[in-house]
Amino acid sequence: MTSAENERGGRGGLGRASFWDRLFASDHVAGWLFVSPAVVLIGLFGAAPIVWSLIISFQRNSLDTSGVWIGLANYRHLMHDPAFAASVRRTIVYTVLFVPITLFSAMAVAVALNRRLHGMRFYRTAVFAPVVTSTVATAIMFSWLLDPYFGIINLFLNKLGGPSQGFFQDPSQALYCIVLVTVWGWLGFAVVIYLAALQGIPRELLEAAEIDGATRWRAFWRVQFPLLGPTTLFLVVWLSINALQEFDEIYVITHGGPLASTTVVVYYLFQQAFAFFDAGYATAIAYVVFLGILALTVVQLLLGRKLVHYRS
Amino acid sequence: MSRLRISFWAMIAFVVVLVAPLAVAGCGGSSKSSSTISFWQGYTDIERTAIEQSVADFNATNPGFKVQAVFAGNNDYALTKLRTALAAGKAPDISYQYGSSMALLAKLPQVVDLSAKVKEPGFDWNDFFPAVRLATMANGKVLGVPALVDNLALVYNKKLFDQAGVPYPTAQWTWDDFRAAAKKLTNTSAKQFGWAYINDGSEDTVWRFLALLWQAGGDLLTPDNTKAAFNSPAGLKAMTLLYDMANQDHSIYLDSGNDNYLNVFNSGKIAMLWTGPWDISSINSGVKYGVQILPGDVSHATIAGPDNYAIIANGSQRVDDAWKFLSWYLSPEEHLKFAIATGDLPIRESETKLPDYTNVFLKKYPADAVFVANLNNVTKARPNIAAYPKISADLGQAVQAVLLGKLTPQQALQQAEQQANADIAAGM
Repeated sequence: MTSAENERGGRGGLGRASFWDRLFASDHVAGWLFVSPAVVLIGLFGAAPIVWSLIISFQRNSLDTSGVWIGLANYRHLMHDPAFAASVRRTIVYTVLFVPITLFSAMAVAVALNRRLHGMRFYRTAVFAPVVTSTVATAIMFSWLLDPYFGIINLFLNKLGGPSQGFFQDPSQALYCIVLVTVWGWLGFAVVIYLAALQGIPRELLEAAEIDGATRWRAFWRVQFPLLGPTTLFLVVWLSINALQEFDEIYVITHGGPLASTTVVVYYLFQQAFAFFDAGYATAIAYVVFLGILALTVVQLLLGRKLVHYRS
Repeated sequence: MSRLRISFWAMIAFVVVLVAPLAVAGCGGSSKSSSTISFWQGYTDIERTAIEQSVADFNATNPGFKVQAVFAGNNDYALTKLRTALAAGKAPDISYQYGSSMALLAKLPQVVDLSAKVKEPGFDWNDFFPAVRLATMANGKVLGVPALVDNLALVYNKKLFDQAGVPYPTAQWTWDDFRAAAKKLTNTSAKQFGWAYINDGSEDTVWRFLALLWQAGGDLLTPDNTKAAFNSPAGLKAMTLLYDMANQDHSIYLDSGNDNYLNVFNSGKIAMLWTGPWDISSINSGVKYGVQILPGDVSHATIAGPDNYAIIANGSQRVDDAWKFLSWYLSPEEHLKFAIATGDLPIRESETKLPDYTNVFLKKYPADAVFVANLNNVTKARPNIAAYPKISADLGQAVQAVLLGKLTPQQALQQAEQQANADIAAGM
């Protein structure tokens, strides 16, 4: 028992403490006070905008003049907007490519890095470097590498006898190039998570598999892979949430083009809000995206409960 | 006093220390003294220095009130910033705004209608170039005074012309001359291009097309701004020129919007640009370049990108003070000083008659002579209507589709026309 609890017990027992004394002495008050700076900040810059944007989504609102209440009109418009539907399709294509590619390459890299090797720290640092590089810098670098006229990638392609590619300037390639850039940027993050998980797997399990005559490949699939399940689930959820909100690289490299081929849903939202000043419509999109992400996450977690093996 | 209660008060102090700066930051903006006019601008480099110099000169000679120049972030966000500031009740007195934002400013009741003020005899409104006056108006009201004007002209690399044996562009160049020269100046194996076009579908894509459209005698909208008018023989001619140059001659370097075109021009890989005075200062000193007015079809029309100073209503005294400052700041002598410092073009006809214009300005910026003369080729302005950003986006997609060869000029124009008419009808 701490002295504080002693004291409170003593006072309460005697029944002399005033309301204020009891309030000040309560753990609840102390607890709330400790978290109050965070609560104030999150409330001010997190919760308030969330509520406010819900209100705006029911208005015709251009951010400056006070909005006009139009009920569900923004949401109805959304259901019949082919440009929005197209942006959702692109977002799904992007996510379906980005998440598995990142996961499997990260798993491969993490297994490769999970051993004692001379200079391992350098390799691990190198793999993580893109994560701490600003997305804008990454984007500019790739826009040069993949420049159709003067980029080094096309130079190599030509040297090998291949034709030059349009990359970010070809409507049928641009979205895939964005996948490439973002996988590169996110890989290190997933690798670090996988590395930590791999190092948490007891050696004895692998040794036991070895004694039973399992090859390394088999040991990986039968022992390590299932034990990585919870980590994989976490990464699937986390990467999906981020993929559905992809924006930075597209904003910097392609501006949603060419021919809207990289206008994913958050970029479309940005255009509505800050190019056309249609804040009501933009916040309606934001809420649909939010509900979409929420639904997907719930499904992923429910599926995960069935598929993922948790060690007791 | 118990240990717990001491820590309680310590915690209160802790919270106050954490939250107080927020509160102070939140209130700081509103405590400006009534005798200081705040002037929001978005320049960093030479322009910022020149603006601050002018403001200091004004403050030194003007006893009644002071002006404070505030850097409010990149001008690209000036409209968003102003709207946010108005929503928060902390608007400046003077705000630098793009000409293309005027229609949206017209919707804000706080932006002062200057129609009567500009007609005051001392201001000499008709002395401003017609192009810059046009760009201050929306809904029949004058909503700002001119801050800057520029226009598109043909900037070319002399060395590449010499190498290819192509004579330099003349003021009489037709589209055919331009296209033929661009083709001759293109060398695919050396990755050299005759021309560059910004192909990101943004306003950068659109305004060059508008120059082409006007040159062919067409226009964007009907005179009453109620319907799209660009799906016309002139529009088709302009789109076809772009289609043929990009897809038959392959003489256009398509810039994805990352503004690499200027680096590529500096590397001697692009022969001609359609650009304005703002790019001149970024051309490397080793590159010998010339400036000529744009080639022509029916006319040699160009497009101006004029920006304005809007006055925000923060009480009639402050409006009068802001007006007094701007009248002084935009007087011919004062603006010429600014132009000499920055290389920006004059905005008044009478500036070009002042001795320093020929003796100092043109000596320092020889290329600007063509841009100033080119102001006479600015006969039309983009329509100042609220639907313009959407129409621009529609047309940007059409131009992009044509440059990439994904749609024929006819298809692209039809599609953009339908979308633009729908956007105008929606009244956005």
